[in-house]
Formats: sequence, C-alpha cells, structure tokens
Amino acid sequence: MEPTGHGARSRDELVIRIEGVTKAFQTPDRGRLTTLDNISLNVPYGQFITIVGPSGCGKSTLLKLIAGLTPTSGGRILYQGAEVRDLNTKVGYVPQESKLFPWLTLEENVAFGLDSKRYSREERERQLKYFIALAGLAGFENYYPSQLSGGMSKRASIIRALAYEPPVILMDEPFGPLDAQTRMVLQDELLKIWEQKRQTILFVTHDLVEAVALADRVVVMTHRPAHIMDVIDVPMKRPRNIFAIHRQEGFDEAYTRLWDIFRHELHIKTQ
Amino acid sequence: MTIGATTSERTAAVERSGFLSKRRVWIVLVRVAFVGGFFLLWEIASQRWIDAFLISSPSRILTSMIAGFRSGELIQHCWVTLQEIAIGFPAGVILGIGLGYAFGRSRLLAEVFEPIIIALNGIPRTALAPLFIVWLGIGIWSKVGVVFLLTFFLNFFNTYAGMRQLDQEYVDLARLMGARGWKLTFRVILPAISPYVFTGIRTSIPFAVIGAIVGEFVAATEGVGFFIRQAAGLFRTADVFVGIIVLMLMVIAIDKVAELIERRALRWQSTSEHVRIQG
Ligand SMILES: Nc1ncnc2c1ncn2[C@@H]1O[C@H](COP(=O)(O)OP(=O)(O)OP(=O)(O)O)[C@@H](O)[C@H]1O
Ligand SMILES: [Mg+2]
Repeated sequence: MEPTGHGARSRDELVIRIEGVTKAFQTPDRGRLTTLDNISLNVPYGQFITIVGPSGCGKSTLLKLIAGLTPTSGGRILYQGAEVRDLNTKVGYVPQESKLFPWLTLEENVAFGLDSKRYSREERERQLKYFIALAGLAGFENYYPSQLSGGMSKRASIIRALAYEPPVILMDEPFGPLDAQTRMVLQDELLKIWEQKRQTILFVTHDLVEAVALADRVVVMTHRPAHIMDVIDVPMKRPRNIFAIHRQEGFDEAYTRLWDIFRHELHIKTQ
Repeated sequence: MTIGATTSERTAAVERSGFLSKRRVWIVLVRVAFVGGFFLLWEIASQRWIDAFLISSPSRILTSMIAGFRSGELIQHCWVTLQEIAIGFPAGVILGIGLGYAFGRSRLLAEVFEPIIIALNGIPRTALAPLFIVWLGIGIWSKVGVVFLLTFFLNFFNTYAGMRQLDQEYVDLARLMGARGWKLTFRVILPAISPYVFTGIRTSIPFAVIGAIVGEFVAATEGVGFFIRQAAGLFRTADVFVGIIVLMLMVIAIDKVAELIERRALRWQSTSEHVRIQG
C-alpha cells in the first residue's frame, strides 16, 4: 500500500482553517452557553495535532464542528478551501467510545467506509487485510464487537476510520478509558500506522504525556468559554519510541512548557 | 503486539455449553413430568369428579383430533385460517415497520400524526371486526383486515420506539463514512433497531391468530374459529379443545419460524440470554 500521496503537497499547505469560530448552546433554562469563543487554528496537511483542555471546555464540540455534525454560531471552518456547511464526509471520525456497529463483524466494520465505487473488490480486500494485520487483529475478522476486548474494539474503531483514507482523521479521546499498558501499546501502533500513511490527525486527549508524545503540535484550550491559549511545537524527532518517550530529546522541554501553562490555569481557578 | 481474546475464551464457551446440555436433560425431564401429570389429572378428573361433557378429556380430544384430520375437515379449516394470517400478518408487519421507520425519520410526520395514531390505538380493535364483515364480506378478506389491524399497530409502535432509541452517533458515523439512502437504512438504521422490530413481530404473532379467530367468530363459513364456534354450539366440548389446540400449535409454529429468523438476524448480540444476578 502506497502512502496517501500528500508527499507532493508542500509542508505548509493547509487542509483545515478555523477562522474565529464561536459555538453557543441553548441551556435547559433557555439561556445561552458559549462553549467556544473565537477559535482560530490552521492545520497543514500531514500534521499530528493533539488538543488538550479542561473537561467540558468544548474539545468534542470542536471536532463535531469540523465534521459538520453541528453548525457554528459564528466564524467559519474551511476544509480544503471550502466552507464546512453540511456533513463533512471527507473526515474520518473516531468517537470517544469505540462505537463499532455491533451488528457487523469486525471486518464488515472496517470495510464500511470502503465505497464500492471508489475501491475495486481486490483493492478492498487488500486494504482490509493490510489494516487488520497492521492493528494486530488478524484472525478476528468474523468476530462481532461484543466478542472483542475493549482494546481490540478501540483498534478496530481506529482502522475503520483509517481504512478508507480520508485526508483528515478526528479522534476524540480514543484511548480515554483504557489502562496504562494497553494505552501505550495502542499509542505505539497508532504512531506506526501514521508514520506510514501520514494522514492529518486531530487528536483530543486529557493526558498531557500522551499529548506531547504523539504530537507535532499541542493545542491548549482554556476553561469555558474556551479559546486557544497556546499552541506548543513539539521538537521531538520521528519515529518516536513511546515506551521510552521521557528519555527522548525534546520531550522534557515541550512537556514542561505544557505543564507550566496548565499550572498557571489551575492557579487562576483556585483564586 | 496483539493483546485480547485468546483460544482459552473459546474453550471456556465450549465447556459451558457441555455443562448446559446436562442441565438441559434435567429441564426437559421436569417439564415432561409436569405436563404429563397435568394430562393424567385431567383424564382422572373427567372420569371421577367432573362431568366429561364439560371438560372433555385428553383421550377424547385425541380421538376427535385424529378423526377431524382423517376426514380432511379440520385441515380445510386450518388452511383457511392460515391463509387469512398469511396475508394479513406480513402486510401488518411490513406496513407497521415502514410507518414506524418513517415516523422516526421525519419529525414533521411524527409531530402531525402521532396523536392521531395514539387515538386510533385507543380503539379496541377487535370491536371493529363486525364492521369489517360489513365492509369486506364474510369471506377471508374481512378476517385478513382484522389480522392486519392487530398486527400493524404492535409493529408500528415497537419500530417507532426503536427509532426513538436510535443512537445518533451510529447514524453520524455512518453518514461521515459516506452511507446514504439504501445503505444507511438497511446497513445501519434497521439493524440498529432490529431488537425492537423483532419484539414487535413476535408479540404480534398471537394477536394475528386472535384477529383471524375473532373475525371467524363474528361471521364465517370456514376456518378454525368457525369450527370452534360450531362445536361449542353443538356442545361437542372435545372438538372445541381440538380447535384451541390447533390454534396453539399454529402460534407456536409461526413463532418458531420467527425465532429462527430472529436468531439469524440478531446473532451479533451477545449470546447469553440471562443476566446473571447473584446475591
Ligand atoms: N448538544 C448540546 N447541547 C447543549 N450543550 C452542549 C451540547 N453539547 C455540548 N454541550 C456543552 O458544551 C460544553 C462542551 O462540551 P464538550 O463535549 O465539547 O466538552 P469536552 O471538552 O469534550 O469535555 P470532555 O473533556 O469532558 O469530553 C459542555 O459544557 C456541554 O454542556
Ligand atoms: Mg469530549
């Protein structure tokens, strides 16, 4: 399988431009709750971006806006130059829970996005085999999600989004509820897959170590109404070794910066 | 690299089913003893305590049943009733599911028609059977109508309930992956609500049979319901029981078919049927 072919694009060409986006929800008592306040962010092709911020600040909402699942209240989002108005079928989405379709087998789940108009039968088979093997799920093709472990479902959910090769993949705390060990293994696998494909990834997480370990850039969001407080470049080389990430050059620098921002934010909260 | 399910999980499942089969023998034995005891008691009661004219007896019923099937009369009645069900039931199921689905998809449709449907549901539907006879005659079509009506509402309500429980995130994900139209309906939405749909289908089976019988009670010249009414009129209690048993078998047979289809369609659900609660 050849890479998705973003190599030809210049490193700085943007796939997503978020321009002054605001999002407000109606509260149960008919008031308005501003969740995102004037968010602007540029995302170049092939970058791995992680997004951190306090719970309830609007990280999931931001991903939903990019996917076109919910409209913005102000500002606009450009995807490959066109404004996102309706469902954005050019992004892959990995929700917080795995959300595999329980009535389809693992293989049918992964194949779901492989449209028969875009992929011939052989290509489809090849693609499936490749991704299922890559995620270490070979032999489980005919299992239903109810027969898979949490970690296996997670991996399947990720390759379901990767398999049809959308240029951008949105991941909402995909490793959230997993134990530390499984998490690391999956982070490692995700990076390996990504290094081969170099799709653009926006990855929401609660975990600062994870945020630094995976990212080219870490986006830090504030409390509600959330704006982007800072964007930190992570100067670590690739490929990275997740299992010894602390010892890698550049990790400490980025992590310390991130932690300083968070400490500052927490301090403000306690006053 | 791989962590997760291993072959030991599979062997555990095999062991459990082996254990179950031993249990199953016991369950069947107790069941047979219970039913056998009941029939024995009935037979004895009809000879010693209660007039057989009123409660008949298992041996009389068996004799009547054999005679009925031999003469072909009973088969003809069954055939008519089955025809009524075979037309009315699938029609009610399909239209019920279809409308329930449409209500789930279209908010406007639901908002406009929901109160009307609920009001219609308030009508005791078997009370409409005489009207159907007036409208559709005493042949099979009036019974088909009653069967349809009873089946339709149960399927409609169950499917609509399923649509309201539908997880938005599944639909969003499917649409993001490019699913539309046929694929979205048949690969995502209907499978997602299929447990509800099958509940509707299976609860409506006995009602479909009730519909046919009620129609035949009101006015008919053929059918199991007609057979029962006629037998009761002539005080042939054994024949009444024959009719009832035939209907019961009919319900069981249709339900078995539905169960087989359901098993296949819902085989993705985890297989344990009982939630284990200890304490
Ligand atoms: N559909 C909705 N209607 C009303 N309010 C909503 C809706 N969706 C989200 N919100 C509100 O928007 C805010 C941000 O929600 P969001 O799910 O984006 O947070 P988050 O940053 O992803 O949090 P977490 O880290 O806990 O997942 C919350 O205060 C939530 O109450
Ligand atoms: Mg969230």
